Amino acid sequence: MAAIGVHFGNTCACVAIFKDGRADVVANDAGDRVTPAVVCYRDTEQIVGIAAKQGRVRNAANTVVKVKQVLGRRFDDPETQNHKKETKCQVVSREERPYYEITAGAHPEYIAPEDVAKLIFHKMKETAQSALGSDITDAVITVPFEFAHAQKQALRDAAEAAGFRVLRLIHEPAAALLAYNIGQECSSGKSHVLVYKLGGTSLSVTVLQVNGGMFRVLNTRTDYSIGGESFTQALAQHLASEFKRTFKYDVSNNARAMLKLMNGADMAKHSLSSLGSANCFVDSLHDGCDFDCNISRARFELLCSSLFNKSIQPIRPLLEEAGLSTSNINKVVLCGGSARIPRLQQMIQDMFPDVELLSSAPPDEVIAVGAALEAGLLVGREDLSPEKECVKMEVSATDILVKEVDESGAEIFTVVLPSGTPLPARRHHILSGGGKLSSLCLEIYQRSVTKQPEKLSKIIIKDLQPGEESHKIDTVVTMKRDGSLHVSCVEQSSGKSEIITIGAAAAS
Amino acid sequence: MLLEALEGEETVVFKEAAASVLVQVEPVGRWFEAYVRRRNRNVSASFQELEDEEESSEESEDEEFQLEEYPILRTLDPKDWKNQDHYAVLGLPHLRYKATQKQIKAAHKQIVLKHHPDKRRAAGEQIVEGDNDYFTCITKAIEILSDPVKRRAFDSVDPTFDNTVPSKSEGKENFVQVFSAVFERNARWSTKKHVPKLGTTESTFEEVDNFYSFWYNFDSWREFSYLDEEEKEKAECRDERRWIEKQNRASRAQRKKEEMNRIRTLVDTAYSCDPRIKKFKEEEKARKESEKKAKAEAKKREQEEKERARQAELEAARLAKEKEEEEAKQAAQQAKKEKEIQKKAIKKERQKLRTTCKNWNYFADNEADSVKMMEEVEKLCDRLELTSLQSLNEILASGSKDESKAAVEKQVQEVNTQLQKEREAEAQARQAARGADQASGGGGGAGGKGWNEDDLQLLIKAVNLFPAGTNARWEVIANYMNLHSTSGMKRTAKDVINKAKNLQRLDPVQKDEINKKAFEKFKKEHTSVPPTIDNAMPSERFDAPAGESNAAPWTTEEQKLLEQALKTYPVSTPERWDKIAAAVPGRNKKDCMKRYKELVEMVKAKKAAQEQVAAKSKK
Repeated sequence: MAAIGVHFGNTCACVAIFKDGRADVVANDAGDRVTPAVVCYRDTEQIVGIAAKQGRVRNAANTVVKVKQVLGRRFDDPETQNHKKETKCQVVSREERPYYEITAGAHPEYIAPEDVAKLIFHKMKETAQSALGSDITDAVITVPFEFAHAQKQALRDAAEAAGFRVLRLIHEPAAALLAYNIGQECSSGKSHVLVYKLGGTSLSVTVLQVNGGMFRVLNTRTDYSIGGESFTQALAQHLASEFKRTFKYDVSNNARAMLKLMNGADMAKHSLSSLGSANCFVDSLHDGCDFDCNISRARFELLCSSLFNKSIQPIRPLLEEAGLSTSNINKVVLCGGSARIPRLQQMIQDMFPDVELLSSAPPDEVIAVGAALEAGLLVGREDLSPEKECVKMEVSATDILVKEVDESGAEIFTVVLPSGTPLPARRHHILSGGGKLSSLCLEIYQRSVTKQPEKLSKIIIKDLQPGEESHKIDTVVTMKRDGSLHVSCVEQSSGKSEIITIGAAAAS
Repeated sequence: MLLEALEGEETVVFKEAAASVLVQVEPVGRWFEAYVRRRNRNVSASFQELEDEEESSEESEDEEFQLEEYPILRTLDPKDWKNQDHYAVLGLPHLRYKATQKQIKAAHKQIVLKHHPDKRRAAGEQIVEGDNDYFTCITKAIEILSDPVKRRAFDSVDPTFDNTVPSKSEGKENFVQVFSAVFERNARWSTKKHVPKLGTTESTFEEVDNFYSFWYNFDSWREFSYLDEEEKEKAECRDERRWIEKQNRASRAQRKKEEMNRIRTLVDTAYSCDPRIKKFKEEEKARKESEKKAKAEAKKREQEEKERARQAELEAARLAKEKEEEEAKQAAQQAKKEKEIQKKAIKKERQKLRTTCKNWNYFADNEADSVKMMEEVEKLCDRLELTSLQSLNEILASGSKDESKAAVEKQVQEVNTQLQKEREAEAQARQAARGADQASGGGGGAGGKGWNEDDLQLLIKAVNLFPAGTNARWEVIANYMNLHSTSGMKRTAKDVINKAKNLQRLDPVQKDEINKKAFEKFKKEHTSVPPTIDNAMPSERFDAPAGESNAAPWTTEEQKLLEQALKTYPVSTPERWDKIAAAVPGRNKKDCMKRYKELVEMVKAKKAAQEQVAAKSKK
């Protein structure tokens, strides 16, 4: 069973297919693994992808970019107004919804953002189907975590209009975790993962708790003022000043020249992620003057240093709000094309010194891969019951601990069942006690975040055979859905056992 | 390291654990899917845990279970592996189908450790080389038992399973003891878990019913692929494989059928022997009977009630009717009496009047006058009401002769004027009727010069007879008119055309009127004949009304039927006209003959007219 995962971003869209147990990103007809989410309207045709992006210089008024920003929003939404200001394409209001006014044909046409998204989705579907060689339409689509219901619905409608059978919409950070197979191996264990996504136009940082194989978003923050384009913009400004210095002409007021310069800067920026220096060359930027400029990575990092600082600045407050510190984070996942920038990676690594940065997969493809993996899980299932994008489930409220002593005799607590574990849950531990003792005592504690442990119960195992070898106690801790606890201890050598049930307090 | 317990401490619970909290999770990943599936299957957490605990208890048993040595293991022939008892080979004859996969694996491990050729060689034993060693049997056994499908096939034909079904005589005596063991034994074939138990003699009807409905719909997983004579894997080509498969399928189906029959027989036998069923049946029968009885009684009571009500109603109706009749009779008698009294009175008064008049000698002097007066008085007697007669008589009795005469004459005059009036009114009415008759007759006749109704009718007929397109149509029509007209007027073609056009111009209402009038006239003509017959022999009118010719005109339908009949029955047919009349409903023989003659006449006339015109045009 094959299935499709689609990541539909502000600037780019990426599609991956799940086939034969693995998920792979598919290159489009131009050979690129990521397709620019740009649609160009001509009088007879619509062009999607790289051709539309390149043609934007000549046909800016009829080229729609960043359609995701207005998808499912009302016209008076501040985001829509922002988008209207920035885009070169006319945005008009119709029944309080934004529409693009396209003047390619004889008469102006009004295109809904959903129709633009539909064209892009259609392109992604064709790309995937040509790679699969069959007309599979089952797909999982990713959405940003902060998307409201109307926006999710608009995205789903657009995908369905393009011919996809949407299995589920999943959140981008969760898809990123899936792509790195975090928490999928084993259903026990608890960890915290930070997903750092720096896309074309927005930055979103999310911290998730992975517990029992379940992902739970603890906190998230999105900044629409920074993104890959900000870096390009900064670079283009620098190039414009270079041009001015050389040719004594200011092109910053010439929209077309700036577009050309932006394209050049974009290419240079991409090269700088892997090379030490890059050459930016723009033919006849102004008045037949060709522009040629060499930029080193150091120059670029200097130009964007304030932007870089801005990019990583939200991480700390985010963690604080969630009650975590940088040391609590077990993994950091990087996604979004701009997460490739070496300087940025370095800064994040500095922030989390002893944490592995997950960037082995191309960051702009990670989310699509995760979506494809999820699609592979869902395909063939008859009942896709959780149509809602969020599901509530019971988890344990507190850590369950066992008091022990270390070699020096100091008290230590061992977590036997971490808080946030999906219920019902069972954990199996083997505890050991001193071999010379004839009776052992298990003290069960519970601990809420940052509070002192409370003693719940004491389990006494008596009449053990003192010997040289230490006693091994098989301890099974089971927690039911309501939070009641069941602990059974069996001494391995003698088979002496002790069972206890601790009821749950009434839900507060 | 765990703490040491202090002396005298007991296991104790101090506090309740915090309740679980609901949080939102991301709907992704396989653990989430597993969670959703578990939740959708609606397995409660506690049940899940119970199952888990069962498993863990099994795990703990693993170490304890004993392997039974199979004494003839070493003598087994590996070629005859199909007939060996795989459980016995692995040392699990006491567990058999109840053995878990884990136990089987563990047993295999132990057996292998003991009987592997290398081990035995190490122990200084002589080993038969290759497949002939009995170790192959162990390999085969684990191969069968570790594969769920193969294991099920082997379990299905478990050699230790007792397939017998107890006979009826056995079951009658000790039903529960005999059958509960049998059913328990067979329950293992059920695809459903939780097979209902046979129960005791005190089981309720629901339990027993549930038990039998389960066993009558028994779904068995037992299959007989293990006994396949041919092995599919041995086939060399596809065709052979197919043939083998076919063979195997047939024998499996046969065995499966036998198995189903066996179960069926078992359940049937149990059912027929079951004392509880007998008891329930009797109870049911008794209940039904009592119900029936109660029902019948209720019905009877109801019927009686109904009958009684009906009787009462009838009685009441009869009484009311009688009363009514009585009243009517009385009223009639009363009326009759009164009438008679009145009649008598009037007679008396009349007599009185007559006698008074006679006494007065009819107020006349001479004979003629008296006769006339007598007539008048008689008239008075006839016409006058009782009261007026009375008053007149009073006057006559009290008054003198002259006064009486005056009174009588006045009365006579009044009566005469009244009579006169009546007569005039009658005359007037008659005149009015006649006038209306004349007025209606006047309209049609005024059409043109000398065109009376007969002629008009004839013209219409002729126009219809010679439709447009006839050779020299109007000449022919004129000729026809001249031949048939009763008015004796000679008309030219021109006249005819004018008239026809005139007629056409008339509105359809008028045309209709003409047609109607024609029909009325026709009727009149035809009814004018019978009176003479009527007068002659009035008694025949009622004897043979059907014999009368049906005067109604022939409809086109009837005409068609007649023509058809004429064609079907040629001249030579015996009793031809009877048959023709039978073929035309609503017409008798006479009618048909008459119509035929008319038609012949008409055709002749038509021909003659055409010929005449043709001759004229030739000239």
